Amino acid sequence: MMKEKELQELNAKLTQELRRGILVLATLSQLKEAKYGYALINNLAERGLDIEQGTLYPLLRRLESQGLLQSEWNVEGSRPRRYYEISPAGSSLLELLKAEWRDLTTVLDGLLDGTSMRGENNESD
Amino acid sequence: MSLIDRYVYEVGRHLPRKNRSDIQVELRSSLIDALEDRAGQEPTEAEVVELLKEFGPPKTVAASYYPEGQYLIGPPLYPLFRLLAGIVLAAVLGAQLLALGVGYFIAQEPIAPLEAMVGLLNSIPAALGMLVIVFVILQWFEVRPETEGEPWDPVSLPEISESATVNRGERIFGITMGIILLVVLSFFPESIGFVTTFGSELFTNPVIAQYIGLITFSLLFGIGLDVYLLWQGRWGTFTRIAKIAANLLSITILFLLVHGHSAWLAEHGASGFFTALEQLPDSTNGDWQVIGMAAFRMAFGVALIITSLETVVMIFRLVRANLKSGFSPETMPPS
Repeated sequence: MMKEKELQELNAKLTQELRRGILVLATLSQLKEAKYGYALINNLAERGLDIEQGTLYPLLRRLESQGLLQSEWNVEGSRPRRYYEISPAGSSLLELLKAEWRDLTTVLDGLLDGTSMRGENNESD
Repeated sequence: MSLIDRYVYEVGRHLPRKNRSDIQVELRSSLIDALEDRAGQEPTEAEVVELLKEFGPPKTVAASYYPEGQYLIGPPLYPLFRLLAGIVLAAVLGAQLLALGVGYFIAQEPIAPLEAMVGLLNSIPAALGMLVIVFVILQWFEVRPETEGEPWDPVSLPEISESATVNRGERIFGITMGIILLVVLSFFPESIGFVTTFGSELFTNPVIAQYIGLITFSLLFGIGLDVYLLWQGRWGTFTRIAKIAANLLSITILFLLVHGHSAWLAEHGASGFFTALEQLPDSTNGDWQVIGMAAFRMAFGVALIITSLETVVMIFRLVRANLKSGFSPETMPPS
């Protein structure tokens, strides 16, 4: 029998994996306007998605190296800040990912509620 | 802000050189943003410490900038490295054995076992080291072998070889014999020799006594390998290479024994086998010992030939298996 502590640790680990999977979609969705890293973190937090800073900055770099974001330094403020914005390729991908996400949530809702997309009752299997 | 500067510097030490300074500037800027947001313009050291703890250890933060991880030889290159390492290992062992054999049979060079072992110990790390250097360079330049899109047919999957299963009876027999020999060598070294008829005088074998240390080591190695194989239940890459190494050691010892017996027989005026036989009728003045030693030499010679052949076959199979389907231990039957 799994102990409560082990269960909680496993839950934390799997939840982290789940959240990691949606970070790209969440990030791309919020960068239609250029934002610097910390502003994006606040933006996501205000909408209910907390993301660690140590996770976001490398992610932004990776998305940029994949051509999904573009960035430039802004030195007008009190300190230099790197502003990220979704690229045309990123926008196209965002639309595909959004469609995929919606399909997945529909399927998953059906699975979790015990109903099927194709009108079959999974619980009778 | 000195703590933040120290943190950013430390992260930078572990970052990829390519865009290190760029990442450092962004990291510093983000940390100050976060700090100002929480503590205003005059944060306390405790607040800075708390923020940095949230960010995580510098090495961890730096590592997150390597999306594929940091490797000396990364996962895409590793299967190829393993395949080539196996081929190189087998080739080096084979070449050493061949050089030893050629030296002995053709050039009539005396066998120097220690030299041969040292040669192996030097050449294997040197060859593998060169291979590692080549792969580290490939990794550095992010060379990736083209594997995607290759046509693949499940029907072409190799059959599962039953011969990869360890023969338990064979291993237990080997362990038992090894232990018996070890006990004899350790506790009754003075009794190693031969008698002509039951109850007659024991002629000690001076050549075997000379190499007891090496023989003991070889037996211990063999027993250890057999025990490990019994525990594992299947032959693997490591055990196959270890078995080849054990055989090479046995070959070296058998060479020494044959050579030692020949030298002893030559000293006693019976260098050839038939010379020893000619002395058979004259058994009253110790010549029985000559005949016994000649018999020992013949037995060791036969064992030497069998072990050499077995080893060559093992190396050949190892190389062939590697070339055929990667460095898969399951494709080479045990000896």
